[in-house]
Formats: sequence, C-alpha cells, structure tokens
Amino acid sequence: MNLALRDVRRHLPRFVGTAAGLALLFAVVIAMQGIYAGMVDDAKILTRTMGADLWVVQRDTLGPFAEASRLDPSLVRRAAVVPGVARARGYTYAIVQREHEGRTLRLALVGLSWPDDRGAELPLERGRELSRGRGELIVDRTLGLDLGDVLPLGDESLEVVGVTRDTLTSAGDAVAFLSIADWHSVVDASPDEALRLERERARARLLGTELGRSQPWLSELAIDPRWRAPVLPEPPLHAVLVDVAPDASPTEVEARLAGWPDVRVLSTPAQEQVLLDSVVGRAKLQIGLFTVILTLTAMVVVMMVLYTLAVEKTHDIAVLKLLGARRPTIAGLVLQQAWLLGLLAYLVAVGIGAMLYPTFPRRVVLTDEIRFLAPVVIFVVTTGASLLGVAHAMRVDAGKVLEG
Amino acid sequence: MSVSVRGEGLVKRFGRGEAAVRALDGVSIALDDGVIAALLGPSGSGKSTLVKALGLVQLPDEGVIHFRDRVVARDGLAVADLAELRRSHLGFVFQKANLVSFLSARENVEIAARIGGQRDPRARAEELLAYLDVGHRAKAYPEELSGGEQQRVAIARALANRPALVLADEPTAALDKERGRAVMELLRRVAHEQGAAVLVVTHDHRAMDVFDVVYEMEDGRLTGPLARSRDDAHAAAPTSAT
Repeated sequence: MNLALRDVRRHLPRFVGTAAGLALLFAVVIAMQGIYAGMVDDAKILTRTMGADLWVVQRDTLGPFAEASRLDPSLVRRAAVVPGVARARGYTYAIVQREHEGRTLRLALVGLSWPDDRGAELPLERGRELSRGRGELIVDRTLGLDLGDVLPLGDESLEVVGVTRDTLTSAGDAVAFLSIADWHSVVDASPDEALRLERERARARLLGTELGRSQPWLSELAIDPRWRAPVLPEPPLHAVLVDVAPDASPTEVEARLAGWPDVRVLSTPAQEQVLLDSVVGRAKLQIGLFTVILTLTAMVVVMMVLYTLAVEKTHDIAVLKLLGARRPTIAGLVLQQAWLLGLLAYLVAVGIGAMLYPTFPRRVVLTDEIRFLAPVVIFVVTTGASLLGVAHAMRVDAGKVLEG
Repeated sequence: MSVSVRGEGLVKRFGRGEAAVRALDGVSIALDDGVIAALLGPSGSGKSTLVKALGLVQLPDEGVIHFRDRVVARDGLAVADLAELRRSHLGFVFQKANLVSFLSARENVEIAARIGGQRDPRARAEELLAYLDVGHRAKAYPEELSGGEQQRVAIARALANRPALVLADEPTAALDKERGRAVMELLRRVAHEQGAAVLVVTHDHRAMDVFDVVYEMEDGRLTGPLARSRDDAHAAAPTSAT
C-alpha cells in the first residue's frame, strides 16, 4: 500500500492545485533556458544559413555581427581566385526599422551577392530563391508578410518571393534577404532634401578650390546624380563569404587568406563563437542568474509546501509510528509525495509550455539537453526540498497519540 | 496461562529537583493472555504513563519490562527492537479513534496488518471489519464514520497484527453509554476469543463487570487487583502493587 498515493488521492484537488502553481514556476524556469537556447540558435542561424566555410572580415574587427566591418567589393574577386576557393560572395548586414501598414517592422537586412548567391541555402518554407537582381525579397515568417506582398523600403518596392522559417537574429529580429544592390538602395537611401543639400555642399567645396574656380563647369558634374566620379569607392561590403572546394583544405585556404594584411579570416564556428561571446554573452549571464534565482525560489516554495503537508500529517505520522511503521515508510510518505508533486508539476509545465511558448515574442528552443536536464533538476529540487518535511516526520513522537 | 507483559519496579519522573513528579512510583504489574484488565484512577494518577511504558512508547526511568518472559527494557534503555515488538505484538486503542485520516476504514486496518507482517493484510482487514460489524463501512474515510464506527475500526486495527497485548486508553470516553458498553464488550471478546491480554484505562465504573481484573492507580502507585470477573477462568494472575 503506497501511503503517499493514498494521501494524494484523498486531497487530490489541493494537490493538483499546488502542482499547477509549481508548474507555472517550472514553466518559467524552462522558458528562460529555452529563450537562451533560442538566442544561441538564432545567433548561429545567421552564419549557418549562409552555408559558407570562411568569413573574411575587415582586419582587427570581429565581423559585421559584432562591429562595423568594411571591405572593398574587389575583395570578392581577389578571394575567388585563391587556390582552393570554390566560390566567394559579398555579404552586407544591417538592422533597419520601418513603418509598414500601421505597424513597426524591425528587421535585419542581409545583402546577398546576386547572381552568385540567390539564397539557395536558406531554409525556405514557401516561395523561391531570388531570381532577379533587384526588387525581390525573402523574409522570415515572423515578419507577417506573405508571398506577393510588396514592402516599400527606401526608394525600393520589394516583392516578397520567399518565406523562411527560424531565420532570426540573436535579438529576435526577423531576417530579410535581398540583393546587395537593393541592400545599398535601402540602407544608404537618403531623403531628397538631404541629397539636394549634399549636392550644394559638393558644389561649394569644389568652387572653394582653384580647380573649381578655373573650371566652373565641373560644378555641374559634381551635382549631377547620373555622374559619379570613378575615383570614388564603391559601396563597401561587410564580409566576404568563401566556400572551400571539396578537394581543398579549409585550413590551408584560411591560412592563405589570413596572410592578406587588410583582412581577418574567421571559420564559421569562429564567427558563431564571436556572435555567442559578443552578442549573447551577457544575456547568458543574465538568464543564468534568473534561472538560478527562479530555481531556488521553486525549491523554497516546494520546501514550504512539503513541510506544510508534513506538518498537517503530524498526527497521522504519529499513529503510523505507534503502529510500528519503519522509518523508510515514514520518510517515503513525504519523499514520494515530493516526487509526485514534481512529476505532476513537470508534466503540467510541459503542457503549459507547449501552449504558451509558441506565442512568446522570443523563440523558445527546448534542446535535448533542456528536455533531459529539466526533469533531472526538478527531481533534485523536490528531493532537496522534501528534506525539511522528512526531518519533521522523523521527529514526530509516537507517544503524542496517547496524550489524546 | 502465560504472561504477556510484566513490568517490575517501574519509575517514571517528570521535571527535575524539587519540582520533579514521580508519575510511576515503583509500579509492578503483569498482564496474562486472554485476560481483560481495567486500570482506574483519577486524572494525573499515572495511568497513561503506565500505558506508554507497557506499550514501549515511553520507557520508564527505572525498572524492567518483560515481554513474553524476555527483558525488553531496563532502566530506561531498550534492550530489544521496541518498534518491532510494537509492530508484531502490540495493539493500541485510544480515547479518540486516531485513524489515519487519508486512509479508508479498510486501509487503516490493512496498513496495521501490513506493518505487523500479516500474510494477507487485505483479507485480514476485511475479516476483522466483518468481525466487528463494520464491514459495510470498509470504504468510508474516518470523517465519514460515526464515533462508534470509528472506535470499532480502531479496535479492528489494534487486532490486525494478532497482538499478544492490547492497550486501550479510555476507549469509550467519547462515546455514549450504549456505544461505550458495546466497545467494552468487544474488547472482552478480543481477550477471551482471541487470547490477547487487554489493559483498558477507564473512568467508566458502569462497565466493571466486563473486566476480569481491576487495578487502580493513585499518585503513581498501583493497587489491585481490586475485583475479579464473572468468569474465574480468565482471572488474572496475582500481581503485586506497590
């Protein structure tokens, strides 16, 4: 006869209510871990979805996800001819926020080196990759746009041709993929008035020089938007993605590229590590602290609940002791109830999570590690929390029963 | 007739120095199998202390307790596994039924039988509940039982481990006259039919005819036996009182 089960059966509504309250606490603890895992996964997605072997970034920088990294577009051609390189692509990255149909869209724009990179590696849920160099966009589904929707960004009107799944930044922003040409049009776009004023400043700067004064016709060229001085640099890239040929050694290719004095080369795992250290490093500490505090809170709550349950059973325990019940039987009554409470709370927490986590603004990823550790931690917490109740049960004097 | 339990020179003190009280003051008593004995006395006379001592729940400071001619406690120290003795050989009935609140009537008896090492605890529980005319209430929880039913279930529980000694501390105090009488009759049946030694602490002088032997306590001292039962065959062995 299992006494713990009998007690639970007798006080089922209260027990279930307690477990439900505890489940909410556990659901929050699990969610914290899931959110962190989601941040890590999101951080890795940015690099993983590009499918590159090496990331070439500006020297002395950690790449576009950590800080500004500016590379001349010619680097794509330089990298492409390095022995062992199968493909080199440009990459640009920026966070933009725009109003669209009455709501604020915040998204990470990733420029793809069309036509070499059309987004074939992206996790498309619907639609297709980019087929044109201008006017097309692939977005994450969390942005709420559908195929055929047109999103005005800067001077461009971009048509959604593909929808991806789980392509978010570590901050939870949806990622949109477009050609680098469109990317520059969107990110570098300036208001008309700003352009006009800049032209006037260019004309004034030119006329302030001897050249401008001696050849005033040059000022007309300076303010003509169709004309661009060939000495001016092309808009920069933020990284160059390199695919290593199957028969080449990534280490050797990396070493060759790293020999260039103007770049730094990061393998994809190294780029992921940069993201984890620089972007989610603090979040990890923060969430870790929250998790520890919440776990301790859960432990204290369970402890008080179990202690109260044990105190309420003092008389019953005294009777059982008087009947000669062994110590393991008495301890088991409290301990098994703690485990039952933990098990029920865990199952309810899983149910709550299944319902609520998908509605969270941040992605909650329940990794295999979390799925394994959560019940183990709950078992340890409930076992530890039951010790006070067990100690009380052990101290109960059987003789109290005889005192009426 | 064999002696179930025997206490010799039992002394129990509470408090220290001049404020010390001798709840048991050199009590000697022997309870025989198949005999029901009454223990009378005013409040504070030491009755419950004696029951605790013989029930191996609270050992006296001095004296020796024998169980089946084996010394189990001497001068406040256990010399045997007292919990095991309680499990296997002792049954308790209290003023209040003291049933385990989260177990049904049957389960209350069954757990005692199980703890007492009975081979088929459930069958034993059902048999006892039927014997005490509460078999029809087997599934009821204590709070759903009347006072009389609770006390009968408590007696069934006390018998679940086929005890050699049943200790009953004012088992009829919470019952009306009719139900109290019925409980006393039940305890007598237990002694005479099941062969257990039964010691009943009571204030109820109207039921004296039920008992084979009557003891009285006052100021921690025992006197008796003061009366004999109707059936001399079940008379207790002479017991010293100091």
